Amino acid sequence: MNDFSELEAELKKLRPVPASDELRARIEVALAQPAAGATAGVLPRRSRRPGLWWSLGLGLTAASALVLVWLAFFAEPPASQPIVAQNASPAPSAAYDPGLQPATLRQVVYHRRDEGLVFSPNQSERPLRRVRYDTRETMQWRNPQTGASLRVSYPAEQVVLTPVSFQ
Amino acid sequence: MESARSEDDWQTCFRQLGPALLLFARRWTNCRAEAEDVVQDAFVRFWRRQHSIENRALLYATVRSAALDRLRGEQRRAKREAVVALDGDTHFEPQFTSIDEGQQQLAAAVERLPDEQREVVILKIWNDLTFAEIGSVLEISQNTAASRYRYALGALKKTLQPHE
Repeated sequence: MNDFSELEAELKKLRPVPASDELRARIEVALAQPAAGATAGVLPRRSRRPGLWWSLGLGLTAASALVLVWLAFFAEPPASQPIVAQNASPAPSAAYDPGLQPATLRQVVYHRRDEGLVFSPNQSERPLRRVRYDTRETMQWRNPQTGASLRVSYPAEQVVLTPVSFQ
Repeated sequence: MESARSEDDWQTCFRQLGPALLLFARRWTNCRAEAEDVVQDAFVRFWRRQHSIENRALLYATVRSAALDRLRGEQRRAKREAVVALDGDTHFEPQFTSIDEGQQQLAAAVERLPDEQREVVILKIWNDLTFAEIGSVLEISQNTAASRYRYALGALKKTLQPHE
């Protein structure tokens, strides 16, 4: 390799163009950010199951809500009370453990959507205001003797139809 | 370990190695902007994995891997190779800082080297990697790396002889 030593020395005199300030700034920003993008394939992938369950739950709820809305339109509603279409929730029952007693029932409304006025086929002369609620319902049973508890939580959707009168 | 590697660390490290990393990345890219993208991706990836900066062979391997990922991802290899085949002088932007006429000829000669020889020269001359390290970066044997280097220097010498 000695016959190339002079050439190597000449080559070493060449200085590569330095990195731009912009590149340095980009790296600084990238290093300051969470590692999701740049380490893809290194970090364990985020589980997609929660999203799947949510999609499944919301899909089933939406389907049942549609059925109930349809029933609300074609069934005979009470005359003056607001018509509430609600997906069927499991009846609090303690079939597995007779000692379980209903303890708490919690309903969290996380989205309310006013869908405006609609006309029911059965009450064509009176418009109804349709309001849709996305909720999460949590029920809990407890066995006071054994301390065992059972909790069920599921997304739900309610459609409330309120008769509107004009004066 | 994160705390042991401060911002100053990477700044210092990048100031030293950045120019040679960019030079190396140009092997797989059409322009300096693309090379910068590759170097950014590779350097950030390398730094986050807490690798020792002494392991420069791994850093260069990361650059190579990032560049190849980019090529595969964008499916531009065929297009790029077609362009290169049509025009061997696609490296328009200067890759070295202000230099005299003799050095310009040398730089031009380096850029005209076949890619596989040029990358060995870059890793050897401007990064001081051993042939074993070069072999691990390029996934070739140490002997192949050494022979490519000798061929490259031989070609450079031959090119420059009439001017010396």
